[in-house]
Amino acid sequence: MKTLYIILVATLKTLIYFGILMLHVAYATYAERKVIGHIQLRLGPMVVGPHGLLQPIADVVKLIFKEDIIPIKVDKAIFRIAPLISLSAALSTFAVIPVNKNWVIADINVGLLYVIGIAGIGTYGIIFSGWSSNSKYAFLGSLRSAAQMISYEVALGLSLVGVILMAESFNLTEIVNKQGEYWYGMFLFPQIIGYFVFVVAMLAETNRLPFDLPEAETELVAGYFVEYSGIRFSLFYLAEYLAMFCMSALATICFWGGWTIPPVLIKALPVLGFVPGIVWFLLKVYFHIFLFLWLRGTLPRYRYDQLMAIGWKVLIPLALFNIVITSIFKYYL
Amino acid sequence: MKLREIINKIFLIEIFKGLFLTLRMLFSKPVTIQYPFQRRKIYPGFRGRHALVRDPFTGDGKCIGCMRCTTVCPSRCIYIKREKTENKMIVTDYVIDASRCIFCAYCVEACPVCALVLTEDFEYSDYMRKNLIFNKEQLLKNWDEFASKWPHDVYFNKFWQPPGIDPSRWPKTKREQKPIPIKRFIEIKKEESDESSR
Ligand code: SF4
Ligand code: SF4
Repeated sequence: MKTLYIILVATLKTLIYFGILMLHVAYATYAERKVIGHIQLRLGPMVVGPHGLLQPIADVVKLIFKEDIIPIKVDKAIFRIAPLISLSAALSTFAVIPVNKNWVIADINVGLLYVIGIAGIGTYGIIFSGWSSNSKYAFLGSLRSAAQMISYEVALGLSLVGVILMAESFNLTEIVNKQGEYWYGMFLFPQIIGYFVFVVAMLAETNRLPFDLPEAETELVAGYFVEYSGIRFSLFYLAEYLAMFCMSALATICFWGGWTIPPVLIKALPVLGFVPGIVWFLLKVYFHIFLFLWLRGTLPRYRYDQLMAIGWKVLIPLALFNIVITSIFKYYL
Repeated sequence: MKLREIINKIFLIEIFKGLFLTLRMLFSKPVTIQYPFQRRKIYPGFRGRHALVRDPFTGDGKCIGCMRCTTVCPSRCIYIKREKTENKMIVTDYVIDASRCIFCAYCVEACPVCALVLTEDFEYSDYMRKNLIFNKEQLLKNWDEFASKWPHDVYFNKFWQPPGIDPSRWPKTKREQKPIPIKRFIEIKKEESDESSR
């Protein structure tokens, strides 16, 4: 009976979480078009609904009713599975991400490792899709993606080691609680190098500009999902935006103190203490999403060798340096 | 200088400058004109759909069949059929292939009697290429359509008196060209509505 109850609660939680997440993804696409539009002095979507607010819904309807084309020469089984791998990997990461105090589906002790590991599995979806598509554009895109993931996953992991050292835990809730013990309330300040490395690696990890080489529209059309259409295409799209949210949430939890705000601020303005934690969490996540869009609107795409050089020659040494510094401080203070 | 470059490189000054530029743009006013709902003001000298001016006194075109526009047209898209009677040239058909026209308005400048005009009308896209080859009847109808929408009482086209050429070298009719009074043809409008109901 107890097991049944636990399963039921977990399912319910998952469904609610899933619904809210999908809504967020839908409106992230809208926000992206609006932000990039306004950066380029355009308006973005304006026609469907007031200020184009219903545009994401129209897009979803359109994508669902599009013809699902499977080219003749593709490897059909893998071609069908690939988007599902990407999507399920992106979705599973959210199982351990706490959005508020005790608001989490699975509070596991290796949460951080789990997130990084599962995020890495998403790459398989990309590689499979590129391989099975039997198209040179898709294949090149997936090869690039594989190389990029390998180099940036290392930097991503290393940048988080500093946080782990300071929090002395892999548990995401624990990491947030630990940050509240410091007067500044965020690991952002002592871990500024780590944060920088994390942000750059997170852009590369989610294939966003300026590191969107796997899909580079100007050279590879759409890279690994060039042969996909209709609902399968939108699954890749979904996975990309979910990965953005996942990385934003990770940055929020590990560096920005999750749902807490710095104790100094609460001392200065006690009113802030009554704001529910979820509000702070969402604000911080939205800031990171905005950062993604902002960078996309600003920076041009890096060349492939530059991308590799930044990864191996700058980010990894920086992350290692950060670990050494953090360990020294941790040991002597 | 050297130190400055190093600092620039380490703190990514250039990237931050770029980010602030885009942030400023984010909060400035967009330049988009939402076309079907909002329209841009059309300036004098705009070159749009061709029309043959309907003479407000005779009710017919003013063309005298002198062939100057055919000669001057760089893309050779004007075709004129004419018949000679004892003392008068009659233009039986006048065709402009708008799909080939480059809108240079040379024909308008060359015409000695100001019979041609490129109107301010630009929404005449069509599904059929055939419909973009205007014959005389259609060209006159284009004028009526344009005239019925023209807000003022008189109309004068900028290219009827070619800019950059000394007025003494214009033909007399061009020099004496006055803004023409607009006469709105109600019976034409009825015909139009017939067509649309068809
Ligand atoms: S505008 Fe130029 S190209 Fe067009 S019909 Fe007149 S002369 Fe020919
Ligand atoms: S130049 Fe004028 S008058 Fe001469 S043929 Fe052309 S439209 Fe007619």
